[in-house]
Amino acid sequence: MKFQSQKIAYWFFAAAMLLLVLQVVYGFIMGFARIGMDGLHGWIPFNTARAVHTNLLVVWLLLGFMGSAYFIIPEEADRELMWPKLAWVQLISFLVVGVIAIVGYHFNYWEGRKFLEIPRPLDYLVVINVLAFLANIGLTIWNGKRYTTTAIVLYFGLLAAALLYLPGMIDFDNQTLDSFYRWWVVHLWVEGVWELIMGALLCYLLIKLTGVDREVVEKWLYIIVGLTFLSGILGTGHHYYYIGAPRYWLMIGGIFSALEPLAFLGMAIYALSMAKKGGRRHPNKAALNWTLGSAIMSFVGAGFLGFAHTLPQVNMYTHGTLVTAMHGHMAFWGAYAMINLAMIAYVLPILTGRKLWDNAASSYAFWLSNIGMVAMTGAFAVAGITQVNLERRMGLDFLAVQKEIEIHFVGLILAACLFFLGICLYIYNFWRHGLPTDEAAQSDVRAAEDLPTVS
Amino acid sequence: MLTKLQAKVFFLGGTAVFFGIFLVLTIDTHLKVPFQTNAKDITSAVIAGKRIWESNNCMGCHTLFGEGAYYAPELTKVVENRGKDWLKVFIKNPAAMFPGQRKMVHYNFTDEQIDHVIAFLEWCGRVDLNGFPAEPPLRDALQAMGTPTGVVASNGPTPLQKPVPAVFTTGTCIGCHQIQGQGGAAGALIGAPPLDDVFRRKTRDQIIEWISDPAKVKPDTKMPKLVGIAITDAQVIEIADWLVSLNPETAAPTAAPAPAAQPK
Ligand code: HEC
Ligand code: HEC
Ligand code: HEM
Ligand code: HEM
Ligand SMILES: [Fe+2]
Repeated sequence: MKFQSQKIAYWFFAAAMLLLVLQVVYGFIMGFARIGMDGLHGWIPFNTARAVHTNLLVVWLLLGFMGSAYFIIPEEADRELMWPKLAWVQLISFLVVGVIAIVGYHFNYWEGRKFLEIPRPLDYLVVINVLAFLANIGLTIWNGKRYTTTAIVLYFGLLAAALLYLPGMIDFDNQTLDSFYRWWVVHLWVEGVWELIMGALLCYLLIKLTGVDREVVEKWLYIIVGLTFLSGILGTGHHYYYIGAPRYWLMIGGIFSALEPLAFLGMAIYALSMAKKGGRRHPNKAALNWTLGSAIMSFVGAGFLGFAHTLPQVNMYTHGTLVTAMHGHMAFWGAYAMINLAMIAYVLPILTGRKLWDNAASSYAFWLSNIGMVAMTGAFAVAGITQVNLERRMGLDFLAVQKEIEIHFVGLILAACLFFLGICLYIYNFWRHGLPTDEAAQSDVRAAEDLPTVS
Repeated sequence: MLTKLQAKVFFLGGTAVFFGIFLVLTIDTHLKVPFQTNAKDITSAVIAGKRIWESNNCMGCHTLFGEGAYYAPELTKVVENRGKDWLKVFIKNPAAMFPGQRKMVHYNFTDEQIDHVIAFLEWCGRVDLNGFPAEPPLRDALQAMGTPTGVVASNGPTPLQKPVPAVFTTGTCIGCHQIQGQGGAAGALIGAPPLDDVFRRKTRDQIIEWISDPAKVKPDTKMPKLVGIAITDAQVIEIADWLVSLNPETAAPTAAPAPAAQPK
């Protein structure tokens, strides 16, 4: 670590870990409710658990992105962060807003639109908060000694994510239009600008971990994010098939969303080939595992499983079933959770000066969580496909079908336990790193990376 | 091979072009949606219903237009399938209608609020969703194979055709049961049989006993106890009398009081 102000990243990551655990706890509440163990219904009905689960997911991923930006930007711009104190204010206020929102969900206080449940007054606070963040890193880049593609792509990804939040705040009396703009946030985030962020983080990690020339890595970054927007913008149409929008979206959404996996495929090939090409084998194997894992799992979860239900003929029957949940889990995990965990695995040893990257806990954390997630996806898949066949194709009653697939949720819970064990190990390793230190702050990045491994 | 500059131009150019197309299509969608969704029918009641839908996050359990959560039934066509009267009774006390099932939140809505929710769902049900939800393609094939969807066919005299008394609608029966060819779309799937020929299986007293408390007769039944929720004790008798009156064999003496009353 070169700059003192990069230390703030640690606290963003620590907060993210805490919220990840809470997210999973609420996931379990829903899993148990689905096998009839809904004893918490009076206090935490399913819709509360779900809103908390998905909002915590988004909040911890955003915290991870922000922490990553606070680490990367000073280094790329080659100067201290513009206002380190503002970063602290921003972290704390972001958490406070998040906590209020989540407590509110337990008291029926929300906006009731999937993924955008945060009540309107809090929306404004989020906007102010994100503006502060963007100003802070934006001015750091502006006043920096150099402009790098990685920094610019990261910045524009974050800026565009903030801008796209706004259409989701327009009020409509027409449910169709409401839903139309909800997707400007949800879809254009995960299949658009977040991919920019992911691409930039991936690019940064590959430069650091493989030692391949920056020019080469960054050229491919442009091509990949180019593919993302080429397919992803009109690909929004795959959410407009059956919500009351014109019929031409079936054609446009079908064609362009079918191309979306290309960007993810590109990302996977890019990561693997850079890792192969890289002359310098970085000792931080854990970070490399998570980086390559993210590139691969995002292709499987988003690219492959997304494609599986994106054609209108298929989506007619899978729309709004557990098939969507299957895809949602692995896509979010592979693309955004794993890239954050990769950043954390890379950054922590640098911030704290402790090289806990080659021990049993860190490799079990990687394998258990990934195997667990694959198994969870499998459980959702079996439940989802059965639901589609019985309910949507044979016409059986919803509740009767849910009874039939209940058993797969026992499987889901078992898989989730494995997954959660992996997460616990990851966090245990996080905790063992201790706090960021000033000595680590003084030592040069490269020097720190050459130190022998300790465990 | 591409240079970095070319790659950058590809990214910026591609993004600009496709975002431009997207904006044009968005404007076009705005122009067409009012017709496709019957926007002129969005009354103040529909809007009020939408607000209730949002402020209670019904989407956190249900899907509407296929969007939302997968814990509870898709509601786009619920008004068509169940009928308004059934919905009124259901929303007042969801657990009473589906005892022992997965739980919905028990909201204390006023009658007016319930009307608003129903108005909203009714408007949603009429939006042209490009064919969603599809007719289940295998349903007919299954029925042709004789696979019962819970309804057991029985032989016997063909029931009479008569106008259906109001109590079957207000009492929510028609939400689950088919009666004289009406209603029952969703109920057949949980094994609620058409009621026209119930006289073949049950006597008048058995019908009364059943309706008064179905679970007492068959503990695991999916039919709720509706007395006190949707019907009164007196209406139970009215229902039973009408149902047995559909039997053509016994109908003559009881069903023809008018001619009998005519003095010769
Ligand atoms: C905690 C989850 C949950 C929430 C929140 C919820 N519901 Fe439900 N709802 C259910 C379940 C589960 C059913 C299935 C019937 C049952 O078991 O009660 C259901 C059934 C229904 C039905 C009948 C559907 C049918 O085809 O039989 C309607 C209508 C309905 N809900 C409307 C609403 C409305 C309106 C709201 C918001 C004000 C709402 N629900 C909120 C869980 C929920
Ligand atoms: C929530 C759905 C539902 C509603 C509402 C409902 N029923 Fe039922 N009913 C059922 C089901 C399901 C069965 C089959 C029960 C079984 O066999 O377990 C049934 C069975 C019956 C039977 C026996 C049928 C036979 O062939 O043996 C009668 C009679 C009956 N219902 C009358 C009524 C009347 C009258 C009403 C209105 C007051 C009514 N039901 C409302 C679901 C419903
Ligand atoms: C990392 C990228 C991705 C993430 C995080 C992601 C996540 C999600 C989530 C959470 C949903 C549910 C949204 C809702 O109902 O509100 C969803 C829906 C959907 N996704 Fe993705 N997705 C990604 C990429 C893709 C790709 C590349 C495709 C297509 C090739 C795709 C196809 C779909 C489709 C068709 C739906 C709609 C399902 C339905 O009709 O119910 N997704 N996605
Ligand atoms: C480990 C324990 C977990 C369990 C038991 C669990 C369970 C669930 C359940 C039951 C739902 C609701 C589906 C429905 O509407 O019926 C859900 C939704 C969701 N979960 Fe999880 N989850 C877990 C972890 C995760 C993780 C780690 C992620 C992200 C990386 C995640 C992302 C999501 C998303 C995006 C949705 C919304 C899906 C959609 O709308 O299609 N979950 N989860
Ligand atoms: Fe999408």
